[in-house]
Amino acid sequence: MDNLRQQKIQKYEEFVDKRLKPDLLHATAQRDKVFEQQKTFADLRRNIENLEKNSVTSLRTLVNLGSEVYVQAEVSNTQHIFVDIGMGFHVEFTWSEALNFIEKREEKIARQIEEYTQLIASIKAQIKLVCEGIRELLEFPAEKPAPERIF
Amino acid sequence: MGTSRRKGSVVPLGSQFPLEEIHKASKRVQDAITDKNNELHRLQTFLSDNNNLVNLVQKLPEQLSHDVMVPFGKAAFFPGRLIHTNEFLVLLGEGYYADRTSKQTVEILQRRGKTLDSQVDSIQAMIKDLEAEASLFNATASEVEDGIVEIMEEYVENGSDDGESESESPMEDAPSCGNDTATKVEYASLLSKMDELEKQEELDAQNGDSSEETTVDFDHSPYQRPVDNNPQNPEDINQATPLDRVANNNYFANDLRKKHNHQEDIADQLNFASLAVQSQVREGKNLSQNVKSVDASLKHPISQAASASKIEAFTGSIVEHAENLQTSSREQSSTSQVSGSQSLKPVSRFKMQRR
Repeated sequence: MDNLRQQKIQKYEEFVDKRLKPDLLHATAQRDKVFEQQKTFADLRRNIENLEKNSVTSLRTLVNLGSEVYVQAEVSNTQHIFVDIGMGFHVEFTWSEALNFIEKREEKIARQIEEYTQLIASIKAQIKLVCEGIRELLEFPAEKPAPERIF
Repeated sequence: MGTSRRKGSVVPLGSQFPLEEIHKASKRVQDAITDKNNELHRLQTFLSDNNNLVNLVQKLPEQLSHDVMVPFGKAAFFPGRLIHTNEFLVLLGEGYYADRTSKQTVEILQRRGKTLDSQVDSIQAMIKDLEAEASLFNATASEVEDGIVEIMEEYVENGSDDGESESESPMEDAPSCGNDTATKVEYASLLSKMDELEKQEELDAQNGDSSEETTVDFDHSPYQRPVDNNPQNPEDINQATPLDRVANNNYFANDLRKKHNHQEDIADQLNFASLAVQSQVREGKNLSQNVKSVDASLKHPISQAASASKIEAFTGSIVEHAENLQTSSREQSSTSQVSGSQSLKPVSRFKMQRR
């Protein structure tokens, strides 16, 4: 009987360590990536709005060649902008089209972030559940609930 | 290790190095090797990136402008073109940038490449070390599995004085080797010893030198007569010869046949050795008969002196004389020998003037 319990506990612990925790890490990493995308598109939107506000028609900028070596570059016509729509495809947009696209894209990204947050929360809940199961098997007294904040 | 002096101890290798420990250590080393390999790979990517960039920077100024897609943030770009293709802004570090031309940029990048190269080299050396360590662990593991035992026996030392003196004597023969291995103090003592030896040799050298010079001086005097454009300095040296030293040389020349040991008086003042010899030459002219006979008796010392003076060929003109005269074939006069004969010639000239 005792032996059986030991085996069960070991199985649960393995499940937590080898399955749930890596899943959690993976989900967190994914969510960070999406956060980065969100930031990229937010920057792009702000930049395009800036261009619109200042009605910039031609642009001079510095291009990074790699290893922090920059060359001057000139954009003669800023009306058309190529935006990354994913999977390595870029589409030529006008400013207003680009802003529309970015808006939709941001919505999607926000949804993704929400999903990942849900996922992470559920994984955390599962870990907690399994840990509680192990505690019951070991017949330890229940942990005192963390003192709740009183507002 | 052994409790008794004579007996040693026999220990199975497995008890000293348990197999699991060896495997653990081996695994750790393997992990370290993997880490280093990853780092090496990363560095090599940097290196290849750097080389590509060098090529690019070299090519860019070939055209006035290049059509490119100018990145605008991470997710967008404009069609545009590169302008001012010979102007680069290079990060120097700490947020400082410098305007550079293509050539200067390439230089900077090549210096970066060299740094990367040295880092790659050091990591490769580390990996080599770790691999050697891993192979050692593997060898130990296989030995443990074979059940090899370690036998330890106490080592009784013999008197090691002979060994030391033996190790010292080759140093005297090759001081350059001694310089590498011996400590500075040892080297200093060695030098003093060598100085003593050199003094001894110079003594012998002078012994042979003086007689040799006098004889050859006779042989050469007809050749040297027409030479007038000799440097002034050797003459000055001759004139600076102290009178008492000349007197001393008189005495020396007279007794030259019998007492070679007497030359120690002169040889002590090594600085004046050449002067002594030169004035000796003058005396030798007068005492030509005596010297001739001395020369015959001195055949052996002369050859010794020549070989000895070869060793300390930097000390001064005497050496050159001996070398030059010993070979006594003036046809094979290299540049160094020319200088030697030049320092010899003024002697005869001075002699001529005095007479």
